[in-house]
Amino acid sequence: MANCRSTVVALCLILVASVQPAKAAADNTDPIVVRDPHYGEVLFYFYQNDYFPAIVRLLAAQERSQLDEHAEQAELLLGGMYLSYGHHLEAADIFERLLADNVAPEVRDRTWFFLAKIWRQRGYLDKSQQALANLGDTLPVNLWREAQMLQAQIYIDSAQYDNAIAMLQAWEGRTEWASYAKFNLGVALVRNGQVDAASRILDELGGIDPFNEELTSLRDRANLALGYSLLQDGQPMAAKRPLQRVRLEGPFSNKALLGVGWADAEVENFSRALVPWMELRGRDLLDAAVQESMLAIPYALAKLDAISQAADHYLNAIEAFYEEANRIDRTIGFIESGDVFEQFLADDPLDSTGWYWRLEELPQGPEARYLYHLLATDEFQEGLKNYRDLNYLNKNLEDWRQNVDVFANMLETRIEAYAERLPRVEDALGRADVDAMIDRKLELDSVLNEIERSNDWLALASESEFGMWGEISGLENTPALTADIPEAAEVSDKISLLKGVLQWQLEDDFNDRLWRIRRNVRQTGGGLVDTQRLRRQIDDTMRKEPLRFADLRNRVYGLEPRIDGMKLRVAGAMADQREFLQSIAVGELRSQKQRLDVYTVQARFALAAIYDLAATEVESAP
Amino acid sequence: MVTKRFLISFAASLVLAFGATTIAQEQAPTDADAESREQFRSLDEDVQDLKKEVLDLNRDLFLLEEELLFPANSQVAFFISMDVGEYFELDSVNLKIDGKEVSNYLYTEREVGALVRGGVHRLHMANLKTGDHELIAVFTGAGPHTRDYRRGATLMFKKGIGAKYLELEITDRVKKQQPEFVIKEWE
Repeated sequence: MANCRSTVVALCLILVASVQPAKAAADNTDPIVVRDPHYGEVLFYFYQNDYFPAIVRLLAAQERSQLDEHAEQAELLLGGMYLSYGHHLEAADIFERLLADNVAPEVRDRTWFFLAKIWRQRGYLDKSQQALANLGDTLPVNLWREAQMLQAQIYIDSAQYDNAIAMLQAWEGRTEWASYAKFNLGVALVRNGQVDAASRILDELGGIDPFNEELTSLRDRANLALGYSLLQDGQPMAAKRPLQRVRLEGPFSNKALLGVGWADAEVENFSRALVPWMELRGRDLLDAAVQESMLAIPYALAKLDAISQAADHYLNAIEAFYEEANRIDRTIGFIESGDVFEQFLADDPLDSTGWYWRLEELPQGPEARYLYHLLATDEFQEGLKNYRDLNYLNKNLEDWRQNVDVFANMLETRIEAYAERLPRVEDALGRADVDAMIDRKLELDSVLNEIERSNDWLALASESEFGMWGEISGLENTPALTADIPEAAEVSDKISLLKGVLQWQLEDDFNDRLWRIRRNVRQTGGGLVDTQRLRRQIDDTMRKEPLRFADLRNRVYGLEPRIDGMKLRVAGAMADQREFLQSIAVGELRSQKQRLDVYTVQARFALAAIYDLAATEVESAP
Repeated sequence: MVTKRFLISFAASLVLAFGATTIAQEQAPTDADAESREQFRSLDEDVQDLKKEVLDLNRDLFLLEEELLFPANSQVAFFISMDVGEYFELDSVNLKIDGKEVSNYLYTEREVGALVRGGVHRLHMANLKTGDHELIAVFTGAGPHTRDYRRGATLMFKKGIGAKYLELEITDRVKKQQPEFVIKEWE
């Protein structure tokens, strides 16, 4: 396999795929040539992002010592694939073992960086912190900044605000990371009780000129936080400026519009307050800001003495809240039934088991609109990934469970066929006396040696030559030849000549004949050696086969309980995971419903107050 | 007047309540958050354990299946690989052993991509007796200038005792700007 296949590059690709695909593609180190087809087979699945089959093949090849040429690379690749498959604890074990001194520093740093990132996503803050502590100084600048940000976020997550503030205040550079640093600094300051300092930072961030959607969103978020902070602080006019900097269409626009209205209401400018609140009327009632605007509008109308219109709006709000609360109840029921997760699994293709998978769309249904913002949270996403992975394991075990019966049948058939064939083989072996054949060959060798030693050229004569020799010798001894006549002497000369010619031919051919006979004997010897080897193998197989069958039987029949036990545990883990996801989703819906209940009570109170006011005015009229 | 005062105070309470809600987005995580994180971690650790056990089981099953179906003595594996692959876009491979068709595999785009990047596909496994055998592989796809392309490669090979691996490699012959199909034996 002559082409260049770099597993180091592959590993880097795994590690950086989620963040910088373009840079990952450019990431190139010395190529490694694949020298084991089994290693190439692992790569075949790995390059298709089919991590599960790739890992299984790699583990199997390791077990059979089929990856000797790639032992270290295979181990690293395994670590990378474990990471991609979301098997992060096992991946970390491998990296901890291998990364110390066997790997280029840049690969080591990238690996620790991604482990840190994954562990923070999964809430393993201690491990994430340790991984960051292992970082050297070879990370590219963009990843280095991200690592720094990760460190600051871990400080914030674990309430080490002073550390976070010190780190973020010392942030250098003017890239978009600087803006994120500023925002996180604001968050750390707020959580540390330094609201004034936080306001200054947020104001600075709220005035930036963003060049992409992410930064625009960050600016909106900073302005919103600052605006509400000022509103809380009793500075409504100052609050308007940051709130009005928030885009009219965006994830924070509803809250900003509501806030602008409250800022005007605070200074008794109710007609002006109505403008942003009225804009909220047509928006999604699911948003808390839109729900609040349904109470704020009649409040402002009442302040403007439009009492009857205010009462109408309160009535509308009560009805809308009631309907929404009913929908939420139905959704809670649907989620508690577990159907939503079944639907999610039905929509999810099974080959998408990679770590970088994120669920972007919920299954279609009435509950989807209530759960969308849950998708943005790490906990829900990671929980869904686990649920999906467990479902994959469950299906995998089910498939194997069905195969176990086939394995058992196959094995029993093979054992039966072996038992049937064995007597015939034994009989044939009994008839073929290889040792006697070898004795005969050795005997032949010594005869040939003797012929050669004694130069017995007649021994190598062919049958006809030998017959001819006998005939000539017989003629030589014919009594008539002793007669003293010229004819007898002539015949004797002829016989001597014939004998001489034959002897000369046999002597001349002697070496050639001897060589050919020896060659044939050698070949026969080779065949006998092969036969002897085969015989030994057959004997060996006959001795080992029953043991092999016993071993296979143990393995095959031991599978059923092993698979069944594991299936039970996977089912239990799936139920736990589902319950966890349900509790997050239902908890979120209950808090939405609780808010609606509070607003409904407030609307009823306000409506009662208006009716009271109207009744009082009627009674006091002359 | 009482009602007006009530409405004003009601409005103020809404402002405060809502302001607190928004700022809360940037507030410290609560005990409930920490508990939920802990619960998630515990579940995740269980999932990690199960993944390891199921992977180990799959490894054992994979080995067992192969031992049962293709015992080492008679096993022959046929692999497909590509080197560069600029002059040939693979569609399918047809495999004949001793004149008998044993595989006709149609490749997906994703699989071809994996081959081009260096993956090796185990196309077929067979049990063969010791002795001489003939392998004929026919590759179909798009050749230079995206023309339909069909080429065969033949190899006589000897199956001894022990597993045998044959690799069917598609390479580029740069001089002729044509693909080349080579069959190699691995021991």
